[in-house]
Amino acid sequence: MRDLSVEFGTRGGAVHAVSGASFDLREGEAIGLAGESGCGKTTTALALMRLLPSNGRIVGGSIRFAGRDLVRASEATMRRVRWKSISIIFQGAMNSLNPVRRIGGQIAEPIILHEGSTKTEAMKRAGQLLEFCGISRERVNDYPHEFSGGMRQRVMIAMALACNPSLVIADEPVTALDVMIQAQILELLERLRRELGLSMILISHDLSVLAETCERVAIMYAGKIVETGPVDEVFSDPKHPYTQGLVGAFPDIRSQRVMPEAIPGDVPSLISPPAGCVFHPRCKFAFDRCTKAEPALAEIASGRRAACFIYPQVPEVSERTSPLPAR
Amino acid sequence: MGEVAHPVRIVSPFRARTIVLARRFRGVATQVLHNRSAVLGLGILIFFFVLAVAAPWIAPYGPLEPVTDAAPLSHASPSHPFGVNLLGRDIYSQVIWGSQVSLIVGVMSAFVAIVIGTGVGLISGFVGGWLDEVIMRFNDVVLSIPFLVLMIVVAARIGNLDLWGIIFVIGFTGWSVTARVVRGQVLSLKERMFVERGRMIGSSNAHIVIRHILPNAFPVVFANGILTIAISILSESVLAFLNLSVRNNVSWGRVIAEAVRNDAITNGMPEWMIAPGLCLVVLVFGFYLFGYALDEILNPRLRRR
Amino acid sequence: MPGSADLAIIPRDPKYQGFRQYQIAQFGLDKTPLEQFVIYLQKLFTLDWGVSYFYKKPVIGILAVDLSWTLLLVGTATIFTVLIGMAIGAYAAVRRGKPFDYLSTGFAIFFYGMPIFWLGLMLQTAFKRRSPFAAWFSWWPQLPVQGYYNNDLIPWQWDWTHVSDAGFHLILPAATLALGTLAGISLVMRSSLIDVMTEDFVTTAKAKGLSEAAVLRRHILPNGLPPMVSLIALDVAFILGGAYQVEYVFNYKGIGYRTIEAIGNLDFPLLQFIIVIGGAAVVIANLISDFVLLLLDPRIKIT
Repeated sequence: MRDLSVEFGTRGGAVHAVSGASFDLREGEAIGLAGESGCGKTTTALALMRLLPSNGRIVGGSIRFAGRDLVRASEATMRRVRWKSISIIFQGAMNSLNPVRRIGGQIAEPIILHEGSTKTEAMKRAGQLLEFCGISRERVNDYPHEFSGGMRQRVMIAMALACNPSLVIADEPVTALDVMIQAQILELLERLRRELGLSMILISHDLSVLAETCERVAIMYAGKIVETGPVDEVFSDPKHPYTQGLVGAFPDIRSQRVMPEAIPGDVPSLISPPAGCVFHPRCKFAFDRCTKAEPALAEIASGRRAACFIYPQVPEVSERTSPLPAR
Repeated sequence: MGEVAHPVRIVSPFRARTIVLARRFRGVATQVLHNRSAVLGLGILIFFFVLAVAAPWIAPYGPLEPVTDAAPLSHASPSHPFGVNLLGRDIYSQVIWGSQVSLIVGVMSAFVAIVIGTGVGLISGFVGGWLDEVIMRFNDVVLSIPFLVLMIVVAARIGNLDLWGIIFVIGFTGWSVTARVVRGQVLSLKERMFVERGRMIGSSNAHIVIRHILPNAFPVVFANGILTIAISILSESVLAFLNLSVRNNVSWGRVIAEAVRNDAITNGMPEWMIAPGLCLVVLVFGFYLFGYALDEILNPRLRRR
Repeated sequence: MPGSADLAIIPRDPKYQGFRQYQIAQFGLDKTPLEQFVIYLQKLFTLDWGVSYFYKKPVIGILAVDLSWTLLLVGTATIFTVLIGMAIGAYAAVRRGKPFDYLSTGFAIFFYGMPIFWLGLMLQTAFKRRSPFAAWFSWWPQLPVQGYYNNDLIPWQWDWTHVSDAGFHLILPAATLALGTLAGISLVMRSSLIDVMTEDFVTTAKAKGLSEAAVLRRHILPNGLPPMVSLIALDVAFILGGAYQVEYVFNYKGIGYRTIEAIGNLDFPLLQFIIVIGGAAVVIANLISDFVLLLLDPRIKIT
């Protein structure tokens, strides 16, 4: 994904949900997308599959997947790509499953659609997938409301794997579950990834979840990606002030009892973001340049990228497709 | 974490509440004004309201006053824009005067219905238990009987009705929906935290109802009330059409009824019916537009998308 | 409640006074209210519904015929209303924010608030013989503006000429009733579908690569229908009220017409049971809708 920008048209003005976001994902790799609520993570996920609601538009950038640019692909092409190559698991599976249809049918639906199987074949495969995800095969004819939250999430996962996609996006897959179930689901995802060789984008605001499952991580703030790198390195040695704040807000169970430091201020308005670096109003290291120019995401160490002028290698963003300077 | 110290003014709780209310009202008003259908609806309502109030000055003739310069059953002419009816009265004036009756009856009977409905709904929702069950079953029965049928029969039973009679008949048959809506609102509010907290600090039940639940239920009641007014106006027109409404009071329904009774259609004078009917339609349309828009604005659930 | 109408039902006109004593004894009004109510219930369920004052014939006979006519009217109108109304509502929901949506919603609100009797009158004016429109367009249909008047015929005893003639006479009244209730249904359908479309599983369905039509058919509609069904059932009372008006305007001799007549004749036995029928109809409609809901929505079970 390169320089992706997404806008939503609202009565108050255009909301710049994502501006110039870029990251790379290698095959078989799992990358985490971290950030506070409302920073654009889900929007990025939806944009990847071109599933934005009617008032959302991709206004710039490109998404290269399997040799194609998804931003410029036609709707018909996208429909073929969806679920067959990329699938998505939503947060809160309560609402993500159609309450009036049996889960077997829902899992089989994309199989029939994309692979032209017959109903019986698809249902058999649905049963297999359920088993694979830890649900008894006999429950294939049950309805969603007959499952608990954790099990529904497993159903969603099974459904996401239905057409053997190469990429799975998991949007807050465990946020709505309690901790014990969280661990189980994460373990399941890990196992699946290994056994099936999936690539995964895991979205969460919970850094610990990402630390456990992902190899690389990208930190998002106010619609921009501000840091990327291997997950261990980013969390042990964060380069961007925002990441430092995020990591610092996590109390360390082993060290002394110190009050975690909160990042002062509030998330900026996405309709009129601040000029220059979008984080500078809350950044304790901010200096003059930060208020005037916007740092681009650039490589500051091997495999590490950050968007902060503290690091002299970081250039300014040259062309802008989105935010207007703050009024 | 530095805190900026604002200069604090001590005001009485009453004034504080008024300020908050005024601010909230302004917020709603702005939203209303931005909503095209709300503005249109409101415009229509204001138009008819002004018409009704100014009727004595605008209408060239009284509602039952015979005209002298045109024959009965004549078509539209400059001095009689809607023609003259069979009994020699100016239809244009009748239509203008009619707005008075329709609006008065509509609003007043809706008021009755709302008061009864809100009261019942509040009690039923708040007290709960078997009282709630009983009231709801009764409500179901009342709702079951087709509203118009009930109204027609009741009106007929009582016979000659005066203005207040009609108001009460319509009001008494129309409270069921309001009661149900209010009860729903009360039920959802009851579960909210501030009720629990009110109880914890020992407020009496009455206090909780008046201070907490009522103000929060008010927006829903108001939006629903607008729609109730529309239905009341329609009901009155149906009653008038069937000659069950107030005698000697020219409401739009009555004008239409007269038209039908005197075979306006075969006599080739359909405009007798068109004008009053159109007024009814437009007025009710105005109420619905405004009511729906208001409902959308005030009801957070609906505002989602 | 019907019981209370049982009391003091003698016409107020003085010339009936002499008749009064006879009537009182005849109709058992000299017994206590409680006794009267019990007798009433008894009679109700044994279908001994008394004799109409005006027609001097058994109430049940009169009402049964009327009921069949009314059912014909309401049935035909409802079929059209439901089919067309749901279609319009669905289309408006899918094309939300586009011109069709605004237009159809505007029209719907406009017609929703229209008194049905006025609509009937307007249609009569437009379609009667020698109507002004007929003068302008030669193809403008001229439809009968009265209901079928051979009221000795009971619907299931017809032969073909009667059926076609009755059908022809049915067009305008049914159209009026259909138009009047169409609006409400399309509005409700639209909002119900919009509610469903904002749910997550619709996004999931789209994510699976389903076409818009498939998403609509398999996910949105099955979830949008249940609330519709319950609302339609509640609307039955409203539809009946409309039917009454239509019958009156078109002189269509069904239950509505009979009601108005009975009021004019102060024919209370008739009226009592009309209320009962009205209530029963709504209750039955609700039962049917509950049953339909049971079939449609797997989340509902009989408790």
